[in-house]
Amino acid sequence: MKNLLKETYLLDVGKISKSIERLWQEYQAVLDSKNPSWEAMNRARAILFFLGYFYPEKIALESLEKRVRFIRPKITIDDFFKALDGKDRKILGKYSKNKKFQKLSKFYLLVKGIKNRVENGSYLDEERFNRLYSKLKPREYF
Amino acid sequence: MGKTVQGRAVVIKKRKDYSKIKPGTILIAKEAHPDLVISARKIKGIAIEEDNKLCHAAIVAREFGIPILMGMEGIVKEFKTGEKIALDLERKTAYKIK
Repeated sequence: MKNLLKETYLLDVGKISKSIERLWQEYQAVLDSKNPSWEAMNRARAILFFLGYFYPEKIALESLEKRVRFIRPKITIDDFFKALDGKDRKILGKYSKNKKFQKLSKFYLLVKGIKNRVENGSYLDEERFNRLYSKLKPREYF
Repeated sequence: MGKTVQGRAVVIKKRKDYSKIKPGTILIAKEAHPDLVISARKIKGIAIEEDNKLCHAAIVAREFGIPILMGMEGIVKEFKTGEKIALDLERKTAYKIK
């Protein structure tokens, strides 16, 4: 998670992608293991929270907000998201050769990809996680 | 009055509430689940308590061109499923209509 933060500072999209996959595989390995420990299950919980919420909605969003300001000709963060999500041909065409726009687009689509990932029929394999987590949760846990 | 959208409210309290979405629905929720995308084409407007440009509701709204009001604190308690409501997109308010 620390590496992912560093790679986000560097905006190394290739490494960000690899780190996200590494975390995802670690999360899946805990869920796939026959007898995961309570500690391992909480490691999985941390990854789920990080990939599903904290990284995309806090870290990646702040990074995008900060960097979109450097794109010329200027574009607001709202218009940047609208162009990509709404597949606005006019705006996408305007910035098709703009390196900063292209790099930030790649980063955003990567972040959106992990946020929307579905596994075993549920978002971020949450149903399986919730089932396993509640099985292991100690009675006195608070 | 600014630009508005009108429709019947569907208040999401549990995940199964997404099945109540019909064409012309105004979706009211604290936060949205990715299941929202399944019914997105039926939704006329969204009013949500959450306020983040990368939350599911914001992404789906942009992808499907659905008008959205975010950061609508307490809105889930204000309306009931089935009520006819309007979202005023300029004033960022939601109100019941007859």
